[in-house]
Amino acid sequence: MGQFVQFAINGLMSGAIYALIAVGIVSVYKATKVVNFAHGYLIMFGAYFYFTFAVVIPGFEGAPAWLASWQPAWMVEMRAGLSMFSPLGAVLDWVANLPRIVFGLLGAVVCNALLGLLIERSLMRPLMGQSVFAMIMVTVGLISILSGAASLIWTADAAFVPHIAPNTPLRFELFGTMIFLFGADIVNMVIALLIFGGIVAMVKFTKGGVAIRATAEDQSTAYSMGISVPKVFSRAWILASATGAVAGAILATRNGISPSLGLFGFSVLAIVLMGGLDSYVGVLIAAMSVGILEAMTQWKMGGEWAEIVPYVAVLVVIIFRPHGLFGQKEVERI
Amino acid sequence: MINGNLKASYGADERVLNNRNKQMFVYGCLLLLALFPLFADDYAILMACKMGILLIAVVGVNVLTGYTGLVSLGHGAFVAIGAYATVVLSNLFTALPEGVLPFVVVPCAVAISALVGIVVGLPSLRVKGLYLAVATLAASFIVNFLIEQELFAPWTGGVVGINTPVPNLLGWELDTKREMYGLITVLAVLTLLGTQNLFRTRVGRAFIAIRDRDYSAEILGISLLRYKLMSFAISAAFCGLSGALFAYFYARILPEQFELDLSLELVAALIVGGMGRTMGPVFGVFIVLIVPELIKISMGFATGGDLEMQRYTAPVQEIVFGLILVFFLLKEPLGINQITDRILRSANRWPFARG
Amino acid sequence: MLSVSDLHLSFGGIKALQGVSFDVREGEITGVIGPNGAGKTSLFNAISGFYAPSEGTVRFDGSDITGLAPDKRAQLGMARTFQNIALFRGMTVLDNIKLGGHTRLKTGLFSAFRYFGAARAEELELRRDIEERVIDFLEIDHIRKYPITMLPYGLQKRVELARALAMKPRLLMLDEPVAGMNREETADMARFILDVQEQFGTTILLVEHDMHMVMDICSQIVVLNFGQQIAAGTPDEVSQNPAVIEAYLGAAA
Repeated sequence: MGQFVQFAINGLMSGAIYALIAVGIVSVYKATKVVNFAHGYLIMFGAYFYFTFAVVIPGFEGAPAWLASWQPAWMVEMRAGLSMFSPLGAVLDWVANLPRIVFGLLGAVVCNALLGLLIERSLMRPLMGQSVFAMIMVTVGLISILSGAASLIWTADAAFVPHIAPNTPLRFELFGTMIFLFGADIVNMVIALLIFGGIVAMVKFTKGGVAIRATAEDQSTAYSMGISVPKVFSRAWILASATGAVAGAILATRNGISPSLGLFGFSVLAIVLMGGLDSYVGVLIAAMSVGILEAMTQWKMGGEWAEIVPYVAVLVVIIFRPHGLFGQKEVERI
Repeated sequence: MINGNLKASYGADERVLNNRNKQMFVYGCLLLLALFPLFADDYAILMACKMGILLIAVVGVNVLTGYTGLVSLGHGAFVAIGAYATVVLSNLFTALPEGVLPFVVVPCAVAISALVGIVVGLPSLRVKGLYLAVATLAASFIVNFLIEQELFAPWTGGVVGINTPVPNLLGWELDTKREMYGLITVLAVLTLLGTQNLFRTRVGRAFIAIRDRDYSAEILGISLLRYKLMSFAISAAFCGLSGALFAYFYARILPEQFELDLSLELVAALIVGGMGRTMGPVFGVFIVLIVPELIKISMGFATGGDLEMQRYTAPVQEIVFGLILVFFLLKEPLGINQITDRILRSANRWPFARG
Repeated sequence: MLSVSDLHLSFGGIKALQGVSFDVREGEITGVIGPNGAGKTSLFNAISGFYAPSEGTVRFDGSDITGLAPDKRAQLGMARTFQNIALFRGMTVLDNIKLGGHTRLKTGLFSAFRYFGAARAEELELRRDIEERVIDFLEIDHIRKYPITMLPYGLQKRVELARALAMKPRLLMLDEPVAGMNREETADMARFILDVQEQFGTTILLVEHDMHMVMDICSQIVVLNFGQQIAAGTPDEVSQNPAVIEAYLGAAA
């Protein structure tokens, strides 16, 4: 039982990150009817941007010393009396890294948003209103462009990146077994869920959100009602790439940075389809279930098999519910 | 009015090469292919073989995506199945005489591929468009994952790959690339011809009908179930054949050769060449394989063979590959076939106005 | 020949058809009329198998076909056209019409790959048949090699009729064959429909808005209003029926 709870919690934590990535795919789909096959590669860019702003730039000679590691006098004092692995030590480590974490996150979000805007303007906009198939295929082409560009720009081996939150190990007892968690993982989950919730609320309650929903319903009608559809397009892309940057930063701290981060996008794509492309709730549920399923597979069958859990799950769901668990079936008029 | 286009019988009107320019173009190409080994060096033969192998697979994707309108992003997996089935079956059927082995193994590999194709095609009965693209993508990830598993390593070799047999056709051992060129070319031409024929008959027309308007096809008595699965089977079979040749051509195969990159290459070649056209895959494969080579050669010149700079070659190739695909989608969505059509049309009308 | 009895059809809460019953007699032209949204196209879709009725049966030649898939119905000899033309836009006129011959041909996958031999003979025979029986008959020989997208609306309608005729149907269902056509085109189409009935003896069921045409060419008329059948009979009977007059002209009449 305790093992089960441990793995279930691990699953929920990765599920939350899946949900954060998925929100980007769903938002772009809602606004533009395009499924972004290259979303994983946008996330990879986010991770590399975070690495650049949190590790590479603070490491430059001209960069101020406090950016790389902030060591005010009071902290040095506090640290002096601590033992090697004390929780307070981990918090202090985090505080010392705080300037570059903030700098890294800001840099990643801004740069990735600009990248998203660039992609939308130069590649998606010319195809607007013409062919959804061509737009989707453009995102397929983007896979190669982004993955090639990343390995061209970031040739150096990516080093360790700082965790977003203090990485204190936490231990507590539940159902008679010790549960073992890391502080950073919990904070990551909370951040992911907050952003997810924020975006859902935004789409539900703000004027911009109404524009997105109207566009999702019917592009030409929305356009003729005075909604600037091109603006909705670029906002959706900016939103997707900015959330992708946060997801990328989190993934970078969890799994390290490598070009294979891009492949992550495909498992999330599978999750999105499971949930039903246009349903935020469905996608959240699918993300959490796949997270838990993956953790259970890891527990029972070994880490390798967890890799294909999302793909098997999406095939099963598609065969029984073609439009996902919560997706709307499009009625074709004859 | 196209010059010399007067027909006296239905038979003459139904011909594919219905004018002199088309005939000259096709027969010229065939002649060139036949004479190619006489003057080509080893490098050119190698490239031609690669193109032939890829071409067969792209023709397969064309049947499914170009003609039937079902998008697949996972056809690399069928090439993998064809290749691995060829190797595994060759190692299993050791009782058979060597000269007969390929005649048993290759059809079996193609059939296995087609069967898996039908299974992967099952979601196509319920979902369209991008759901299917993701379903095929997911299926291909699963296939690749299984090939890599330790569990099957005794047969597949696992992640480190496996050595492949040399094909022996009734005592003729194809142990040079030049001999393989002959086999690959013959099969590639037959595949193209077969596909062209297919789309002159009711079967091929039914595929196109499903692509253009599925409910209208149904009303004409075309069973969506039967024809969609048939399309999947044919395209998987062609990819399987391509995989079999792939296994025979290279001394060793590795799982990583059949991953996402291959599936994307197949779709990209199809889009660049022209979807739903017989010659589309030919043009597409040529571009998709020749451009990276040109980049490699020109990077080699530009850097003077500096090894430090050589490692930029692969990323640049990748970027250019993506850019070509995006360029065609934006500027010439019907592919190179559309451009050659325009040229042929104005050649037919010459010396009158183009249009 | 075709017999619809007590057909009910609903989408969610909307009742598109409520108890429609009528018979189509062999060799005659039967018309279905009604105001917009009366359920005419829904009725067609239920008859051709796209919508599953919640109640009632559709019988063709005496056998129950209510649960049969559309492609199976085509094999029985039912053909139809669509209100918003449903031609294959990526093909030429000729290929579109050839598709009508699909169920009558036998070429299998492997002989299709070879082409030369049986498949070719069958294709040439099909070509001859549709040239002589359909293309000539509908006077579309000048456009046979044109892509569909290049044709004007009226001709597209005629090509769709040609495709249906290539099936050699026993029952031909036409969904608004003259919608959006001018007077001259309407007259042409009416003449073609009458010719089809006379020359091939095809039974015809049509849905139409154009009252004059329906009154002129149909021998039986079914009137729908809000999914309900309000009248059925000969053109004379129907035009005198007070319920029909009310539905078309409002209660005041």
